[in-house]
Amino acid sequence: MSTDQPTETVLTDDDEEPEIDRGPFEAWAAKAIQNPKRAYKALFYTATVFFLVTTLFPFYWLFMVALTPRDNLQDVGLVPSGFDPSLLAQGDLTMGTNPGVIVDVFTLIPFHRYMFNSFVIATVTTIVVIVVASLAGYVFGRLQFPGKQPLMLLVLIVSFFPPAAFFIPLNELFNTNVDVLRPILADGSLYNTPYAMVIPFSAIFMPLAIFILTTFYSQIPDGLEDAARIEGTTRLGALFRVIMPLSAPGVATAGVLTFIAVYNEFFFSFLMTDGSANNWAPIVDGILQYQGQYEVLFNVMAAASIIGVLPVAILVVVAQEKIVSGLTAGALKE
Amino acid sequence: MGNVTLEHITKRYDDVTAVDDMNLDIRDGEFVTFVGPSGCGKSTTMETIAGLTKPTEGTINISGRDVTDLPPKDRGISMVFQNIALFPHMDVFDNISFGLRLRDYDDEEIQRRVDHAAEVVQLEDMQDRMPEEMSGGQRQRVAIARAIVRNPDVFLMDEPLANLDAKLRVHMRTELQRLHKELDTTIIYVTHDQAEAMTMSDRIAVIDSGQLQQIDPPLVCYNEPANKFVAGFIGSPSMNFVDGEVTADGFESEHISVEFDPATAGVSVGSQVTLGIRPEDVYEVGKVSTVEDPTAEIDARTDVLEPMGNEVFIYLLLSEDAEASMDSTQSDDQLLMSTDPDTTLGENDTINVVLDRSKVHLFDAISGEAIAHGLADPTDASTAETGVSSSD
Repeated sequence: MSTDQPTETVLTDDDEEPEIDRGPFEAWAAKAIQNPKRAYKALFYTATVFFLVTTLFPFYWLFMVALTPRDNLQDVGLVPSGFDPSLLAQGDLTMGTNPGVIVDVFTLIPFHRYMFNSFVIATVTTIVVIVVASLAGYVFGRLQFPGKQPLMLLVLIVSFFPPAAFFIPLNELFNTNVDVLRPILADGSLYNTPYAMVIPFSAIFMPLAIFILTTFYSQIPDGLEDAARIEGTTRLGALFRVIMPLSAPGVATAGVLTFIAVYNEFFFSFLMTDGSANNWAPIVDGILQYQGQYEVLFNVMAAASIIGVLPVAILVVVAQEKIVSGLTAGALKE
Repeated sequence: MGNVTLEHITKRYDDVTAVDDMNLDIRDGEFVTFVGPSGCGKSTTMETIAGLTKPTEGTINISGRDVTDLPPKDRGISMVFQNIALFPHMDVFDNISFGLRLRDYDDEEIQRRVDHAAEVVQLEDMQDRMPEEMSGGQRQRVAIARAIVRNPDVFLMDEPLANLDAKLRVHMRTELQRLHKELDTTIIYVTHDQAEAMTMSDRIAVIDSGQLQQIDPPLVCYNEPANKFVAGFIGSPSMNFVDGEVTADGFESEHISVEFDPATAGVSVGSQVTLGIRPEDVYEVGKVSTVEDPTAEIDARTDVLEPMGNEVFIYLLLSEDAEASMDSTQSDDQLLMSTDPDTTLGENDTINVVLDRSKVHLFDAISGEAIAHGLADPTDASTAETGVSSSD
């Protein structure tokens, strides 16, 4: 009997269709057929909401996990377990949650040091990548020379290799004691130093930056570079004083992508240090420190993850201005 | 100071020779204009002087120094570009002071010089504007201020007015002349607009196919062109050219004959020549009171009239079956004349015209070299002006 019921409804729906009396959804569909823009708009909002939910929900979940008191970690729901607004009336501002976890993040381990390490590694890598890729981008984008295409292809090929393929030889290399490095590095090896991450990251993220900057630099009119050179710069001076500032959106894009990629990198970051804050271990190592032998502090890990994301989130918001603005607009009278 | 010498400058790209053995000697304080059609090598020549392009061969001297291997910044030059090329991320003050700041002038000196340069180009109150907030003419004046602020020995100007509208261009033309008078600095000016070249320069260098055709004061280029290219390029509309042969009596072609004495004109009988006559030296018979030395009458039929206001251009067909071609001044059976605006002629009228014999040019039909400027009536040989005047 229960299986018959849906069939019946379908039948009645079919019967009702010719009638003018439409439900709200049918009325909307009829209007959308008259005016397709309504349908596109609806699709746009559906897609936007879908992406917002799928990207932001994990953050919400992290936040809820972080606020859950340590004793209730087995029972995490859409609100922190133990969350009770009625506690507010009793003077408990936390309402049964555990905001103190944010302090725990820094007291249990020196998480700020891990953040500092990540920040320094990402910043140094970004600077190296932008400077070197600018030189390469200038050459590929603005000069004509034999062998330009094959060379560009070679750069491209570097980015084809999976980074993991480089790991074993690099790890071997970085664990080798090199005598000439002894004055700057205690044991003469790069293991447990930021160089062990900055060097491979620079190489891995360089091709993308070169491509972005080549495209941008090639679009700066020759006249501006000529003018700068006549006015008193060298070619290099023209690159840094005129071409780069005018390619600010491209430089920002390449820089932000590199920074985020390095900041979020896991593989090399995890393996090129022993995980101790004093040995330049980045954020991922720090988060894994909350994993003890008998207990995993998921709430602290979640809080640390959120704190770790903040610098990048701020960076993107700030850099967005640069990325969006087209500074070259109105540069030349065409 | 400020003199520029090019010796045997040649610039070759892979398979193209852009500049071919260019020799130039530009004096201090002179306003020299490079003119020529697109792609003739005038801009490349200027780029080699600026140092933006290195010549394949030859040497460049500026102010007595060999600068062939020096970078642009060390040559004592400044340049104004066709596309203006202001730095869009800097305001007017920063644009003008860019070169000074690079050379570590102190702030007061920079401010003083920028103020002066801005005053010269009449942009005193705009120093904190951004280029995008300015009109084309204002931008170009900023570019000129940027060029003069460093007190260079030589100004290079690469079609600086080409992107301005017609009215502004005429205005800026006089501004530039005023500037030249004020600064008394060598200016090398590239243009394809021969009106600019005629009005502004002390000397015009006519360039074609990478080769210097003639360098002379504007009126010499106009009245005594060194060859057929210069004759056709300078003057608008272009000079009429008619191919023919030299006979014992003078020039002979299908429709036009001009009597002169080949010996006095320095041309041998039987040689193939091209006769050149400017439109304003063609006169309608009956209105020839001003022509002292007219040639034999030529029968013609009017084709198209172009009233310009101050004059009328009339396209003449010299034979019944002549067809109007695109380039009427190059055709043997067509002539272009200019006449007073009050002419009563209409289209398809039959008229007789004469040429002013003293304004007739003869060119070698093959090499295009000028043979004679101005012919004389063989019966009155005393006024003959013959031979090509030397072009240096």
